[in-house]
Order: sequence, then C-alpha cells, then structure tokens
Amino acid sequence: MSASPSEEQEQLRRLVHDFLQDRSPVADARRLAESGADGDRAVWTQMAEQLRLQALVVPEEHGGDGYGPAELGIVLEQMGGVLLVSPYFATVAMAAQTLIASGDETAMRRWLPGIADGATTATLALAEDSGAWDAGLVRTQARSSGDAWLLTGSKSFVVHGHTADLVLVVARTPDGVGVFAVEADAPGLTRAPMDVLDPTRPLATVQLDETPATRVGTGDASGWLASVTDLVLAASAAEQVGGAAACLAMAVDYAKVREQFGRPIGSFQAIKHKCSTMLLQVECGRSAAYAAGAAVATPGPEASTAAAVAKAYCSQAFTHVAKECLQIHGGVGFTWEHDAHLYLRRAKSSELLFGSPASHRARLAELVGI
Amino acid sequence: MPVQQGLGETAVETDEEFRARLRAFFADHHPGRPPRDPAERLVWTKAWLATLFDHGYAGPAWPRAHGGMELPFARQVIYHEEFAAARVPGPLGTGLNIAAPTIITYGSDEQQRRWLAPMLRGDVVWAQGYSEPGAGSDLPSLRTTAKRSGDEYVVNGQKVWTSHGQSADILFALVRTGTQESRQKGISYLVIDAHAPGVDIRPLQDLTGGHLFAEVFLDDVRVPVADRIGEENGGWKLARTSLGHERAAGSMNQAALYRRVLTELEELARERGLLADALVRDRLADFEIRVRIMRYNAQRIIADILLRGEPGAASSVSRLLIAEFEQDLHEFAVDMLGPQGLLGKGSPLAVQRSRWLQGFLRTRASTIGTGTREIQLNTVAEQVLGLPYDPSMPPR
Repeated sequence: MSASPSEEQEQLRRLVHDFLQDRSPVADARRLAESGADGDRAVWTQMAEQLRLQALVVPEEHGGDGYGPAELGIVLEQMGGVLLVSPYFATVAMAAQTLIASGDETAMRRWLPGIADGATTATLALAEDSGAWDAGLVRTQARSSGDAWLLTGSKSFVVHGHTADLVLVVARTPDGVGVFAVEADAPGLTRAPMDVLDPTRPLATVQLDETPATRVGTGDASGWLASVTDLVLAASAAEQVGGAAACLAMAVDYAKVREQFGRPIGSFQAIKHKCSTMLLQVECGRSAAYAAGAAVATPGPEASTAAAVAKAYCSQAFTHVAKECLQIHGGVGFTWEHDAHLYLRRAKSSELLFGSPASHRARLAELVGI
Repeated sequence: MPVQQGLGETAVETDEEFRARLRAFFADHHPGRPPRDPAERLVWTKAWLATLFDHGYAGPAWPRAHGGMELPFARQVIYHEEFAAARVPGPLGTGLNIAAPTIITYGSDEQQRRWLAPMLRGDVVWAQGYSEPGAGSDLPSLRTTAKRSGDEYVVNGQKVWTSHGQSADILFALVRTGTQESRQKGISYLVIDAHAPGVDIRPLQDLTGGHLFAEVFLDDVRVPVADRIGEENGGWKLARTSLGHERAAGSMNQAALYRRVLTELEELARERGLLADALVRDRLADFEIRVRIMRYNAQRIIADILLRGEPGAASSVSRLLIAEFEQDLHEFAVDMLGPQGLLGKGSPLAVQRSRWLQGFLRTRASTIGTGTREIQLNTVAEQVLGLPYDPSMPPR
C-alpha cells in the first residue's frame, strides 16, 4: 500500500464507515458496555455476511478475501471511531493473524474458514498476571501427552477471552515457546471477565488446568510470534487513530456551537490551539499507522520498527486527544452521560495494552541500535 | 515509465539509476567545507548553485522553461533525500520558496523570464520584505507606502526580520498602495532592487550573536510599475498564495535532513557513553519516532498529491511538527552535554564547534518566523477544522 489509501481502500473505508454509523454508533457502544455484553450478534452477523469483514485478512484458500494489514487498519480505524464493542479485534487482528503467521496449514484449514464466515470468535492469550506483552515471560506450561498437549497455568488481560470460541494460548514447552489452540468447551478451562477501566473492550482471565490443546506450528514460536506482535501493534495503532479522530471531530463540533461570553468557544484562541494540536497528533498518528500497516505486511526489522513507532505515538496521541476532548466539553464532558469518558477509557486502555509507549520506545531504541 | 531527465540525458531511467546519477554528481562536484568568512561563503555558495544550475540539477519542482528539472513528484523526493544526504548547501535567500511560486503563478511572461532563472542559479539573491516593526503576523496593518508617480512607485518605510537581507540583490515586498484604513485591500506586491538609491540594509544582530536578519530602510526608493506583480492593491492574495506554497517535497528534504542530524546526535551520545542512561535512550527513541513520522507525513502528503491532486491534512501540520522537533532536539542535545553544552565555539572544550548550542538558540525562530506558531495554530483551526473566526481578528 502506498502512504495514502488507494481508491479501492477508500471505498472500503466508506463502506465500513457508513455501516457502523448506521448499525453501531457510539450510543450502541454505551448500551452494550453498560449491559456487560461483548457485542451485538446481529451486527457481527451482518459484518460477516454482508461486508465480509471477518474474512478480510484470511487467505482465499481458507475462505477469506486475502487482504492485508493495510486494509485491516482501514477497517479498524472506523471501528475505533465508534468504539465498536465486538470481538472483531480479538478474532481477526489477533487470532486470525496468529494462525496465518504460524504457517500451520492444518490449523489454518481447521479454524480459518469458521473465522472468515463469522461462525467462530477467537482471541490470543499471551500476557499473564503482570500484563506484560512478552512471550519471554510466559510461565504457563504445555506438556505433551501422547498425541495431545495439556496446558496448565493462567492468562490475564485476554481480549474478549471470556466469550471466545477459540483461545490461542502461548505456553512454554520443552522446546521453547509454543502456541496452542484451546476450544471453549475444553475440560479444565475456566474463564472470567476482569474488572477493567474500559467496558467497551472486555478483558478476561483464562485458567488452564491440564487442559487439552492442539499445538499450532512446530518448534519454538518466539520468532513468528514477534511478527504477530507487530501485526497486532499496527492494528491497535490504526484503531487508536480512529478513536482520536472521533474525539477531535466531537470537540470541534461542540466548539462551533457552544457559546460563552456571547461567541462560540471555538472562536477563542485557547480552544483553537487545542484543536489544532489535536489535529497535529491525529494526522501524525495516521501517517504512522498507515506506514505501519504497509510495513508489517512483510515480517522483518522494518515491520517491527514501524509498528513500534506507530503504537508508541498513536497511544499517546489518542489519550491526549481524548483528554482534550473532555476538557473542551467542560462540565458536560465530565458527566457519565457524555461519550467523552468512554473514549478516554478506550484510549487509556489501548495505550497500555500490548506494551506501554515507554516500552515500545525502549524496543525501538534496541531495534535501531541506540 | 518515461521520466523527465536532467540535461544531457535521453534514456528511460529507473529510480535507482536516477539516485545513483545524483549521488555521482554530488560526489564529483561537492564543494567541500564552506569558508568561515561570510563574504567568502556567499561567493562559494553562489558558485555551487551555478554548478547545480549549469548541469541541470537545480529546481527539482521547477518548470524546465525556467531552468528547473520539472521532476515527477516521486523523483523530487529522491532528489531531496540525496541533496540532504550529500550535505551540500541549498538555495540562498527566501526567493525560491516564497517569491518563485508567486512569480510562476502570477508573474507576466516578461517577469518570469527576467527573474526566475537568475534566482535559481544563485546569481541574484532574493529576500523577503513582508514584516515591519509594527506588522509581523498582522500584515494588513503594514505601513510602508508606495505612491504612484508616472511609471514609478516611490516607496517609503521600513522592513524588518529580513532573512539574508545583507546578501540580498532583490527584495520582494508588500507595500501599501491604498489607504491605511483599506487594510489588506490596499496592499501591492513589489519587486525592489536592493541596490537602488534610498535602500539601506542594516544587519540586525540576533540572539545567536550572528546576523541572520537585517532591517531595511526605504527612503524615496523608485520602483518601476513594471516590477509590480499582479494588480495594484491586489497583493494580499499573492502574499497568501506564496506563504501557502511550502512545497510538499520540501518536507521530505526536512525529514531527510533531520534523519541525518538525529543520527549524528545518537553517535555523539554513544561516543560519550550516555546510552547506558535509560532516560537518554527514551528521549532519543522519542526523537526517532518523530523523525520517522516526519518522513511518513511527507510520504503521505506526496502520495495524496499523486493520487488526489492535493495534499491532505498532514501537510497543514507537518511544519508544526518539524518546528517543535528541532527545538526539542537541540535543547535535549545541550542538556545531554551538561555544562559542556553551554560552551561557545571559541572554547577549546566546546563539543562539535558548539553546533547544538547554536541550534538551540537558532531554532527559537522556528516558532516565530513566517508566522508564529500561535498564528499557524489559528490558521489550521479556521481553515482545516472550520472553527469560527475570532471577531477581534481582521476578516480574511
């Protein structure tokens, strides 16, 4: 992909934008979040059947449409804009991309068609109690027993982990780190939602007690898991840009109509400067997210660098813009009824998921040899 | 894809061949280190610009009719990357960036013929005369007058913050041809011979201790009416056009330039054993992020132009990003060096001839010159985000 969306990608953006504005505006995110639901089934089905969004990055031979991380980024930017409550990110950006990156034909044949047609939701469980997104710190054990593997341990911060039909678990094996597929009805599997800041993105704990699992890929997975991380970071950055852009639009719209001292507050320099600075961050974030979306299509050092740049920058940008949006709304912004806090919650939550900005800067420093 | 070639080239050339050709040219003709004496340096720089022009390597975006290369956009990017990497001097004065687009857009054929090529070749140095002591960002209040007298205007007034003013051969200036009350509706765009009687240019010592700017006194200066660009009293539109003409490929040049500067700062930190400090690494990584985003922005602006014919919102913010970046970078470098960072180039203990301290001082201007950061933020808010005008500001 070029640094700017092609006409085809623009069409995809408009399609998803119009669908979400119509079928899942922010009001729905609020309703779903307050009810504790993890998504709207009807929206999920329409996304799969009418828009084929779940099929987006799945290779054609496994029932998908074979697009890449750039197109996924375009979709996620729109989803981030409406704070879509949905296992889409977990299923497509995390699990499907993990299965594809594993190169394991058997696993792909088994699970990707179900993901592509919307029948299966899935997620990737890597972090444990510390929340660190680091395969090197994984303590969950995988033990081989005949043809099968048995997993014992505990995972935390698993995105939509309490409802996913399929949980891809990162565990330690005698020959390094491995990825294991655990079905929802597997014996010894216990899951529970965590009490977290952002109700639009539920996180869960997943306990495994001699739980039977299928290994995905062979040998030590740390290498290709690193490229999965790059894909997830780029996806998250794109989603953050969408959230930040929505906050900016909300703040600007309000500043145009809200009057104080007999004039719209948007005519005051203090508000103008805030909004322009927000635009700066949104646009720089967008450039970084597009660049990451293009770079992570090919695993390697450039992918890791671009992903780290995008995630570190977009994380801070989204949180900053969400805070400024709330500030510009004044007292109204501080109320439960206003959407500003929902965006702030998502911003802070996605800032710290998959590694803090500081941790990505540290990784970047290593990658570029500082 | 057949592409525009520099002089003497006929065959279809790939991007990589073009890059290699530029590299070879810059290597063969590299002028070496600049002389320290300002007068000698001016001669030296002019000679280099003439070399560029005479070999067909000047003005990547310019029409070929005016001596430029008229490169397709993607090639302009490569040009700017290689130009920055070669560490060779760029254009003199502010003519190329600001006056040239105005002349190309609004100048008569005769004016274009007379002014453009000599400007590009570096034979004639152009400097900007917009700002006045009482009118910086508030240009509509400017007071330098031009009274019509037959075929001439008689110009009186004062300009200030004129970059490269002391080397200038020509001033492109906004002058008042209407009444003071007419504000921006009474402004014309004049091209003034800096060597004409009545023009007095005095270097202005700035906070770096150097003379980046001059002030210009105009006392009964006679300017031919033929040297007015555009209509009488129609200069405001022209000034706004030219200020908006910060070319997209130029942002690639900035990104390439700061890529190099940051690498040099990282080297310095490594040599001095400072990379063990987590705070230093964190700050350097932050600059690394920003310099990469500078490049991503430039790529996106260029892609937008190629795909849609116009730059998107990234172009309106990239200058704000760069200004803040260069200020932060130099200040961090000074901080990192500690007390040694405070030494001027006269001190034997100064690090790298005090370049980081000089940069710290020099880049204070980044958020002031060509419109303060505050004015730019207002402009972006109104023109890109559509926020309402401030009723206390002049209408546009």
